Amino acid sequence: MRLRLILLVLSLLTFLSTSIGGYLYYHNLKESALLEAEKQAEIRVEMLRINLAAQISDNIRPARVLAGTPEMIQALENPSGALLDLANTVLDHFQTNLDADVCYLMDRTGLTIASSNRDAADSFVGHNFSFRPYFTTALGREPTTYLALGTTSGKRGAYCSCPVYGADPQTPIGVVVIKASIERVEEELGLGPEDILLVTNPVGVIFISNRDEWRYQLLWDLSREEIDRIAQSRQFGKGPWRWTGLKLRDDRYVLDSKGRRYLMNRTQVENYPGWNIIHLRSLDTISKVISEPLIRITGPVVFMASILIGFAVFFLYQKASQEIVKRKEIQRALVDSESRYRSLYNHTPAMLHSIDSEGCLVSVSDFWLQALGYRRDAVIGRQLTDFLTESSRVFAERSVIPDFFRTGFCQDVPYQFRKADGEVIDVLLSAVAERDATGRPVRSLAVSIDVTERNRAERALQLAQEELGRYTRGLEKQVQERTREITSILRYTPDVVSIKDRDGHYTLINTCFENILGRSNEDVRGLTDADLFPEGVARQFRENDLKVLRERRSFQFDEQMPHRDGTIHSYLSVKFPFYGQDGEARGVCEISTDITEVKKAQDQLRRLSASIMAGQEKERAAIARELHDELGQVLTALRMDAVWIYRRLGEVDPAAADRARDMCRLIDKNIEDVRGMAIRLRPGVLDDLGLVDALEWFTTDFEKRTRIACVFEHSPIAPLDENIATAAYRIAQEALTNVARHARANRAEVELIIHDHQLQLTVRDDGAGFEAGRLAESEGLGVAGMKERANLVGGQLEVRSAPGEGTRIRLRVSFPEQSGEMT
Amino acid sequence: MIRVLLADDHSIVRDGLRRIVEEDGAMTVVAEASDGREALRKIDDSRPDVAVVDISMPGYDGLEVVSRLKDAHPTLPVLILTMHEEAQYVVRAIEAGAMGYLTKQSAPEQLVTAIRKLHDGQRYITDEATEALALRIAKGTRAKTPLDSLSMRELQVLRRLGMGHTNREIASAYNISIKTVDTYRARLLKKLDLRNNAELIRFALQNNLVEP
Repeated sequence: MRLRLILLVLSLLTFLSTSIGGYLYYHNLKESALLEAEKQAEIRVEMLRINLAAQISDNIRPARVLAGTPEMIQALENPSGALLDLANTVLDHFQTNLDADVCYLMDRTGLTIASSNRDAADSFVGHNFSFRPYFTTALGREPTTYLALGTTSGKRGAYCSCPVYGADPQTPIGVVVIKASIERVEEELGLGPEDILLVTNPVGVIFISNRDEWRYQLLWDLSREEIDRIAQSRQFGKGPWRWTGLKLRDDRYVLDSKGRRYLMNRTQVENYPGWNIIHLRSLDTISKVISEPLIRITGPVVFMASILIGFAVFFLYQKASQEIVKRKEIQRALVDSESRYRSLYNHTPAMLHSIDSEGCLVSVSDFWLQALGYRRDAVIGRQLTDFLTESSRVFAERSVIPDFFRTGFCQDVPYQFRKADGEVIDVLLSAVAERDATGRPVRSLAVSIDVTERNRAERALQLAQEELGRYTRGLEKQVQERTREITSILRYTPDVVSIKDRDGHYTLINTCFENILGRSNEDVRGLTDADLFPEGVARQFRENDLKVLRERRSFQFDEQMPHRDGTIHSYLSVKFPFYGQDGEARGVCEISTDITEVKKAQDQLRRLSASIMAGQEKERAAIARELHDELGQVLTALRMDAVWIYRRLGEVDPAAADRARDMCRLIDKNIEDVRGMAIRLRPGVLDDLGLVDALEWFTTDFEKRTRIACVFEHSPIAPLDENIATAAYRIAQEALTNVARHARANRAEVELIIHDHQLQLTVRDDGAGFEAGRLAESEGLGVAGMKERANLVGGQLEVRSAPGEGTRIRLRVSFPEQSGEMT
Repeated sequence: MIRVLLADDHSIVRDGLRRIVEEDGAMTVVAEASDGREALRKIDDSRPDVAVVDISMPGYDGLEVVSRLKDAHPTLPVLILTMHEEAQYVVRAIEAGAMGYLTKQSAPEQLVTAIRKLHDGQRYITDEATEALALRIAKGTRAKTPLDSLSMRELQVLRRLGMGHTNREIASAYNISIKTVDTYRARLLKKLDLRNNAELIRFALQNNLVEP
């Protein structure tokens, strides 16, 4: 915009200066033309003056001659016809020779007595011109000249008068006058229409002019008195005398009523004091005189030049405008790219900064500030090294920055920045230099990448690797140790250890197993149980293995394995699956302990225990029966006798009868005691009527004794083995006893189901329950006893309880088809 | 004269019984046996009017004797005389065919009456035994009844409720707590799919647990 303006101003100035130049040239030209005109005018005026003088002052001498002629004097002294005729002839002669307008003779009174125009219509003869100043002056013995408008002829003339002296040379007797024609003078002036020539009297009445309309006009504005005076003089006819409207300016210029300026030259008319010759020349005309040829000659040139210049200016302006637009676009693009660059610089999520050659920060990106926690105004202008740690600062000052300003480049310089909060971050700095015109680096553009995390991670990785290495070595050592230990264990354990794959192929057996089989591990590898054992044994082993694989957990099995000496040994085997990487069971490991001897001892113990218990039961039954039957019977008999005695003595000896009744009561009491004892030892019902009746009786009795509701339910019962019945009865008895003692129950249920050669006895209560595995000692003993009983008849006892949820005791016994004796 | 056979393995008991029987002038002991087999043989021989048999005997026990006599001498009334007071024995005895049941303890007071009743063709059972018997019969006679699912105690409570007894009365009758009675009542309602006492009573009548 400004450039455009400048261009405009320049072109204006060019125009102006050209104009001024032109003008000056023109002005100079005009000035010189003016001077020239003035000179011309002067010459012209001079010429006119001379000419005029010649024309109007020439007649003085002839007038003197004429006045001296005798005819004139005679005519005046004796104005008779003949003499007058003579005078007239002379006058005519003079008029013709002088080419004057009129020559005439006046007497002392001013009366014209003779004249050359005595025959013309406007003859002066007989007219008195004594009012004329030329007459009066001439009478005053002074020849004179006078310019005036003829009163008789109405023609202007230059009057030349001369006194005529008669005898007395001192006293004029008349006056001769030669009137020269002004018109002829005027004609001889020969002026062009552009020039104005005026002859004026002393007050400015125009008497002679090359312009007819100007004649008898007033050159200057005159007052009324002056005009009256003019009228009185009758010098210029009767008027009117109008003002030409001219005004004098600067003594050289005249302004007309229309504002036109005229150059004025004036000079005195010879012999006519006060009269002026005035030459006016219009300045316009002068200019025209100059400009017209100038325009004519230079006009087309100037016009063409103007057009050319115009075109040139237009073209240049256009060019300049384009240039300006282009430059503006470039500038805008530059600004845009600058702002983009700045925005990019500030908003790039990277730490950017620039330093000058002094190492001072000149700009930093937002991210840089954010990363280091400074504010921009606290950073700009400060040394970059102020933000580095001590070691980095030294490194930068001694090596990196000098190098950089020498080479203009650096890459991946490891720096440590100190953040505003004192924390240190690791960066890798890369920079390029911006160079000035001479190619000297003046400023850097640096990118720092925060590698704190990376370094940390690398260090951690390294540590972890070292740790892993150590751990691995330790692990290897441990593995070696464990391997040695396990190998030793496998070698020296008395247990049989083996590993089989999914398909039952042995992959490893230990020394003990080798000894039993009489074959080495290498021999056995790849073989299956079917290759090593009789069919039945192998099938059992495989079934157990498959169960482990299927259920994917460890199991305990009792297994029988024939030894080389033909004996069958019992083993307690723990089998568990091996899992592969994919979580699938890949094989089965088996650790088997030879429990043949243990089992033998256990069986022996169990048999012993069973026989003890059976013996005990038998003994109890015997005692119970003894008590109940023998003692009870005896007591009954005694009671009968006592009753008999009581009845016999009833009337005879009441005291004895009472005694007998007391005795009877005592015996009743005894019988009750004996019965109770017997039942506690072993209820006869169990032996006599069987388990169902016994439990029915017991539960009913339990209800009575404990006030705890006790429901007994049973399925139809086939006869039972005596031992099983006893065990069941005793377990129910023990369980209910516990209910009464510990459970704080409201009710108990006893359920007896016999189905498919299996007895299931359940005793449950709604009591307090207990935490499984934490039984009170008494309860614990009770449960242990019940379990023992269950075991002895080949059954299992299950105790299930939880605090607040009651207790359930369940006995399960399977028994073979044939059953014991039962009623 | 009512001819009586006494079968008991204890001689002193037999002696006592004999004395009691013979105190009464209207009956006489015609034979005594000390075990089941002997009793059967002597019944064959002496043809008594009433047999008094102990349950616990060597050889055939009393219940065996009763069931055998049912075939051999269907008309002979047998009175079971035993030391056992448990109701289970009573029921078994009656089931086997005995016409009466008596504990030895109450023999001095009741034996003569019992023999006489049996001789007259009547049963002699204690009230408790009568009830147990009735329930057992009610349960046993029909092939499949809702009663099958009931325990003996439940039957007892049902019968008593059917007779219009209160819980308290039932509790004191069986010497159990009222709460226990309530437990049984609740079980009965549930098992028999009944709603209240009125329906229980109706059910008891319909199933002949109570004489109308």
